[in-house]
Amino acid sequence: MSASLGEEEQQGRTAPLNPPADSVTGPDSPHASDVLRRLGLAILAITLSFVVSAIFIGLSGKNPALAYWSLVRGAFGSIDSIAFALNKSTPYVLAGVGVALCFRARVINIGGEGQIAVGGIAASWVALSGSGLPGFLLIPLAILAGSFAGAAWAAIPAAMRLTRGVHEVLGTLLMNFVGVLLVSEALHGPMGEVGAGFPQSPLFPEQAWLPALIPGTDLHIGIILAVIAVIVCHFGFWHTPWGFRLRLIGSTETAAAYAGVSTARGFAGVMLLAGALAGVAGAVEVLGVHYRLIQGFSQGFGFNAVAIALLASLNPAAVLPAGLFFGFLEAGALAMQREIGVPSSLIYVIQGLTMIFVLCALGISWRRQRV
Amino acid sequence: MNYAVLIELLSASIRIATPLLLVALGGVISELGGTFAVGVEGMMLMGAFGGAVTALVTQNLVLGLLASCICGVLLGAVIGVATVKFRADHMVTGLAANILALGLTSFLLRGLFGGKAPVMVLPTIGAIHIPWLSELPVVGPILFGEPLMTYLAFLLVIPVHWFLRHTQAGLTLRAVGENPEAAFSVGANPHLIRMISVMVCGVFAGLGGATLSLQELGTFTDGMTNGRGFLALAAIIVGRWMPFRLMWGCLLIGAASALALNIQGWGLPVSSYVIQMTPYLIALAVLCGIGRKARMPAAIGKAFIRN
Repeated sequence: MSASLGEEEQQGRTAPLNPPADSVTGPDSPHASDVLRRLGLAILAITLSFVVSAIFIGLSGKNPALAYWSLVRGAFGSIDSIAFALNKSTPYVLAGVGVALCFRARVINIGGEGQIAVGGIAASWVALSGSGLPGFLLIPLAILAGSFAGAAWAAIPAAMRLTRGVHEVLGTLLMNFVGVLLVSEALHGPMGEVGAGFPQSPLFPEQAWLPALIPGTDLHIGIILAVIAVIVCHFGFWHTPWGFRLRLIGSTETAAAYAGVSTARGFAGVMLLAGALAGVAGAVEVLGVHYRLIQGFSQGFGFNAVAIALLASLNPAAVLPAGLFFGFLEAGALAMQREIGVPSSLIYVIQGLTMIFVLCALGISWRRQRV
Repeated sequence: MNYAVLIELLSASIRIATPLLLVALGGVISELGGTFAVGVEGMMLMGAFGGAVTALVTQNLVLGLLASCICGVLLGAVIGVATVKFRADHMVTGLAANILALGLTSFLLRGLFGGKAPVMVLPTIGAIHIPWLSELPVVGPILFGEPLMTYLAFLLVIPVHWFLRHTQAGLTLRAVGENPEAAFSVGANPHLIRMISVMVCGVFAGLGGATLSLQELGTFTDGMTNGRGFLALAAIIVGRWMPFRLMWGCLLIGAASALALNIQGWGLPVSSYVIQMTPYLIALAVLCGIGRKARMPAAIGKAFIRN
C-alpha cells in the first residue's frame, strides 16, 4: 500500500496524500505560553460569534441580552440542566478527540455523523439481542460493537483514499448520508418497533442502560468514558512513538518519509481510531440517553465534533472543555427557545461562526510562524 | 420497459441533474481558481432559502432568483475572505460555511416570520415547451419540454467552457489555480481573482439552490439540499474539471436517482431508504472507478503568499 502511495507522489499526478492543511495543523508541543495564546484565541472566536449572532437575534425581533441571559440560566440553572448538558457533551467529546487527532495528521475526516450512526446501530443490535446477559457484560459488549462498527465505517473511505485516491473529505461526507439512511433502514426493517408512531427500536432491556453517575439524575457514566478517552489520546499523542509519528506526518511529509514513517499506515490508523471513538459516541448516546435506537439520533453530531476539535485548537486535552462548552450551549439554547422564542438553530449559527473565526485565527498564527 | 416510461425516466434524469449542474459549474470556477468548493452545499442552501423567502414575500419569481444569487454570493464572500485574506484551511472553512448556512437559514426561516416556520406553497417555475422542437418524437418531450432553469443550466455549460478554455480571463483564472506565483509574476492578482471566483461560484450555487426550491419543490425546508452540493463536487471530479464532462457526471447521478425513484414504483422488495442511498453510492463508486486519473489544479487549497 505504501509503495503505491510513494509511486503516486513521485509521479505527482494526483494530490498528495495529505491535503495542504498547514493552517489546521498546530505547533509541535504544548508550551504553556502557547496554551494561553490558544485559549485567548478560542475565547475571542466565541465572543465574536456571540456578537454576530446577537445581530441575528435582533433581526428576528428579540432582545439579544434577554436571550443570552435565558441561555445561561438554561444551561446552569439546575442540577437537571447540568446533567442534560453533560450528557449532550459526551458524544461530542468522544468524536471530537478523534477528529482533533485526524486533523493533526492532516487527515480531514468529517465522517463523524455516519460513524456515530452505525456505532449506534451496532450497539443497539447487541443490546436488543443479548437480553439474557447481565449488564456488566452486555454494556461493554454493546460499546465494543459500536466502536468496531464506527471503525469499519471509517475504514471504507480510508481504503478508498489509499487504494483509489478518492479524497477523504468527499468519501467521508458521502458515507455520512449512507450511514444515516442505514439507521432508517434498520428501523423500518429488522430493528423497528412494531406499531410505534416514530421510527424507533423497541426499548432496550434495563440491564443494557448505562448506569447513572449521580443517582437521581439523568447523568450517565458516558462522561467518564469521554474523560478517559481524552486522557488516553492526550498521553498517546504527546508521549508515545505513535503520537510522534502522527505529529511528524502532520508537520511535513518529507520529514516523515525520511524518518521511515509510513504515511499510509498513519492515515489508516488515525482514521480507524477516530471511527472507533465516534462509534463509541453513538453507542453511548443510544445506551445512555434514549435507551433505544431512534431515527436521526446522530443529527449534527459529526459536524459538532469538528467544531469542537477546532475550538480546542486540535489539542486533544482541550477537546474536553470545548465539548463541554458546546454541550452547555445546546442545553441553554433549548431553554432560550422555550422561554424567549429564539429558534434553537441559532447554535448552528454560533458554531459555524466560531469555526470560521478559529480557522481565520489559526491561518494568521500560521502566517506568523512562517515569517 | 415501455416507451413512455423511458421518456419519463430520461426527462426526470435531466430535471434532477439541473441543480447539480449549476452547482458543479460554479464549483469548477472556484476550484480552477485554486479554492476547494466544499462550501457549495451551504451556498446552495442559502440560495434555496433566499429564493423561496423572497418569492413568498414578493410573489415574484425573478426577484426570488436574484435573491438566491445574492445569498449565494454572500456566503461565497465569507468563504473567500476566510481562505484568501486569512489563509484558513479550505476544506474545513467550507464545512464551517455549510454549518453556518444550515443554522442561518433554519434560524431566519423562523425568526423572520415571528418564531414559527411559515407554510410555503410557492408557484413553481413551469415547463416551457419550445414550439416545433418539443413535438419531435423522443427528443422533443425530453429536451424541449423542460422548465426554465434546466435550459439555463445546460446552456450555461457552453459559455463556461468557452470562458475557461478560450478567453484571457479564463486562462488567468486557471493559472492562479495551477501556479499563483507565476500568475502573479505576469501581473495577475491571485487574491482578487480567487475572491471573485469564489463569489461567482456563489452565484451559480445559489441558482442551483433556487432551482431546488422554486422549480423542483416549490417550498423550503431545513437542510433541503441534503448533500446535493457534495454530489456536485463528485461530478466535478468525475468530469475532471471540464464543463462538458462534468455535465455528463451530473447526468449520470441524475439518471441513477431517476432510476432509483422509478424502481420504487415497480413494487420490488427494496426499501425506500436503500433507494435513497443510491446517488451517494453511485457517486462513491464512480469516484473509485476514476481513481488516480483525476488530477486536481496544482495549487488548489494552497494559500498564495506574496513575497
